[in-house]
Amino acid sequence: MNSFTGEITAIEQEESLSLISLRVGETPFTTIVIDTPDTAPYLRVGNTVQVLFKESEVLIGKDINNNSISLQNKIACTIKAIEQGKLLSKLELESNIGPVVSIITTNAVEQLQLKVANVVMAMVKTNEIMLAE
Amino acid sequence: MIRINLEKQLHSSGGEMQLQVALQIKQGEFVTIYGESGAGKTSILRMLAGLLQPERGLVEVNGKKWLDTANGTNLKPQQRKLGYVFQDYALFPNMTVRENLLFALEKHQPKDSVNEVVELMELNDMQHRYPATLSGGQRQRVALGRALVQKPEFLLLDEPLSALDESMRARLQDYILKVHQTFNLTTILVSHDVSEILRMSERMFVLKEGKIVQVGAPDAIFSDDSISGKFRLVGTITKIQQNGVVYIISVLAGVNLIKVVATAEEAATMATGDKVMVVSKAFNPLIKKL
Repeated sequence: MNSFTGEITAIEQEESLSLISLRVGETPFTTIVIDTPDTAPYLRVGNTVQVLFKESEVLIGKDINNNSISLQNKIACTIKAIEQGKLLSKLELESNIGPVVSIITTNAVEQLQLKVANVVMAMVKTNEIMLAE
Repeated sequence: MIRINLEKQLHSSGGEMQLQVALQIKQGEFVTIYGESGAGKTSILRMLAGLLQPERGLVEVNGKKWLDTANGTNLKPQQRKLGYVFQDYALFPNMTVRENLLFALEKHQPKDSVNEVVELMELNDMQHRYPATLSGGQRQRVALGRALVQKPEFLLLDEPLSALDESMRARLQDYILKVHQTFNLTTILVSHDVSEILRMSERMFVLKEGKIVQVGAPDAIFSDDSISGKFRLVGTITKIQQNGVVYIISVLAGVNLIKVVATAEEAATMATGDKVMVVSKAFNPLIKKL
């Protein structure tokens, strides 16, 4: 599990759903949760929360232009290590917010010709990020 | 309704501890007492059975006082209508299964109730065998049967299944639930096993250092509201298997076996038998009508 400490910067609400904007260091994150400040009191602007997402939900792109993709959570990274299995590979990435781990298919690693020291964008869909107190 | 108030100074390996509990259990309810070893769980059961005396206390079962230290009421263990099953079966090795069951009858009681228990617990085929020739699960079925021949109103189970393997445990859980319903028992289970508690009990008491610190429905107590994922299951790890760069962790949650992919770092912190919470976002699971 990738885990970072972030600060809530904005909360937009529609009935039971809330779209939460956060900042981990200088990197913005957004997540949608089935909770509101009424059901989860830790959802308050300015509060510190844990930002959690699974390694297998971290997409990898090369040469990503910020305005060309729908994904809201983008972390600029450098590849530190690649552990290649037959079907899946584990990428250990370095970023301004700390280490990020991604698990993608070995086919994808080969297709993108990913190598240690490459600069890549690690991306996570808004509905894949969990928050914890 | 069963009303219990007990106070006793206990000497445990961790030092002196003041046990002080008040429980109210409804007729027909199945409740669990959950807590670390040394928290006082077994002492509570022993005091209910009359095997250990509290300094101050009241035990009232369906309007009848079994114990009231205020006026000196204190029924003997054999006068208290309860069944008690421990982790070790405590069967008489020199008696057959049927003889073990008959021994538990009081002199004036008809033998019909032994036949009823034999039927219900499916002990027919092993009636004339000796305990040493039975498996652990079979012996525990006999021990449970023996606790029932006296037609108790109240059943105390002190980690009765903890020495058994996973599949035997699930079968014995079914037997326990069946007798709980058939005999309209009020049952107190002492257990560490989260999936067992979730499956069997309606309410649980969390005991810590002799005090009840939490009371509620097991799923509410075991689920964790401090995380935003809404798809949550609590269970026990049954298998950890390396598969290339990831690990596949099998988790038994209630009667469902689920599988979760984890990294090597996560797998290294876990072992078979560990209790875990599996969480996902409500956006991920597909839902399909059956």
